Amino acid sequence: MSQPVIIKSNRYGINLILDPCLPFEELLGCITDKFLESEKFFKNAHMALSFEGRDLSEEEEYLILDAISNQTSIHVICIIDNDEIREQYTKQKIDQYLEEESGNTGKFYKGTLRSGQSLECGTSIIIIGDVNPGAKIVSTGNIVVLGALKGTAYAGASGNEECFVVALDMNPVQIKIGGIIGRCEDKGILASIRERKRAVAEPQVATVSGGHILIEPITKNAFHNI
Amino acid sequence: MSEVIVITSGKGGVGKTTTTANVGTGLAQLNKKAVLIDTDIGLRNLDVVMGLENRIVYNLVDVVEGNCRIKQALIKDKKYPNLALLPSAQTRDKTSVTPEQMKKLTDELREEFDYILLDCPAGIEQGFQNAIAGADRALVVTTPEVSAIRDADRIIGLLEANEIKQTQLIVNRLRMDMVKRGDMMTVEDVCEILAINLIGVVPDDEQIVISTNQGEPLVGTDALAGKAFFNICKRINGEEVPFLDLQKRASVFDKLASLFK
Repeated sequence: MSQPVIIKSNRYGINLILDPCLPFEELLGCITDKFLESEKFFKNAHMALSFEGRDLSEEEEYLILDAISNQTSIHVICIIDNDEIREQYTKQKIDQYLEEESGNTGKFYKGTLRSGQSLECGTSIIIIGDVNPGAKIVSTGNIVVLGALKGTAYAGASGNEECFVVALDMNPVQIKIGGIIGRCEDKGILASIRERKRAVAEPQVATVSGGHILIEPITKNAFHNI
Repeated sequence: MSEVIVITSGKGGVGKTTTTANVGTGLAQLNKKAVLIDTDIGLRNLDVVMGLENRIVYNLVDVVEGNCRIKQALIKDKKYPNLALLPSAQTRDKTSVTPEQMKKLTDELREEFDYILLDCPAGIEQGFQNAIAGADRALVVTTPEVSAIRDADRIIGLLEANEIKQTQLIVNRLRMDMVKRGDMMTVEDVCEILAINLIGVVPDDEQIVISTNQGEPLVGTDALAGKAFFNICKRINGEEVPFLDLQKRASVFDKLASLFK
């Protein structure tokens, strides 16, 4: 093996692919070095950790965890092993944790997001202002734009397709909820300006329905569904 | 009270340099002391538009590096003695100057001039950071095209992030005939997208090309673009001036054109 330790990312965090032959002490040193190298990249990330390529004793796992938490500011939420049933269970737990965290809490942002600006949020977010084309907003929960949404919105960024996007003037370039992407029609800017002038903007909500992004006016019924 | 104004756009070729030349000359016509600084190091051209290329001895980088005093590098305008130009260096690049040095320079120039106009290079890199470093106010130039507007939006965001207090919009090269046909965005459309205050609308005018080639700014003449630039100068100076009725003028043209059809 060319590298004793390889860090690979997956949906929940990172997977460490370890050299099976190297003495554990030496391997631990390699792991520490690897994480120090990429410390800036991970910063204060919360993540799940899994191991591959080597059977580790519980004690060894603890030693690795200790090394990571001592040397870097990464928060390891849990260790995932390769047992499929247990994996599904942990997956469920993590999803639940993220969902609760993002669905029940929210933040406000006041101001217009212009092209090139992006806002990422680990909770739901309410924007008081516009989101212009070229701007991007990412939330693990829901997104509410009290203004015009003309840029890109990505709700349920941790994979939750139950999330929704609401805007007073819904005109996004792209909306992504969980893993589902919807994009605007292919039409020129003049056509879309003219179209918007003709119709009075009404608040709309975007949800996932039947594997597609559905955008509909906000009615009592629409609210029942979310 | 002197003011440092940066003229910027993000996208290239929308008329930053032409606007700087015309607004600077217009302010001089209003008896203000104005200095124009070309911050586009390596792509010097404000001097050409002003028709002052043959007078360059020292440049911006010379001043910043201390090879000469500011006074030595300032070029007095051909027509207006209260207008000066600080040309850019052609053989260097944007990294030759830092934002701190630019701020120091503009602060020194405040003592002598009413208006310090900075012609910003296209882009959002070091050249842009240099140009906005000492600015109190920004004039964002755009044409009514998607690409220019998108870049202007990005620039406005960056200006806000850099705490430039006042940002105003100039819509340049508007063609009323195309607007009327519905083939070009209206000024209202542009303002709605960018959501900042409008300080001027300049119609597309072939006289601008002629005046640029001659090295004599058009401002103050009877040409429609010249009038529009002069109005911008008055508004910068704090006067309330109604916007030109470009529509009316276009319809006269239309009538004339229809006579010959």
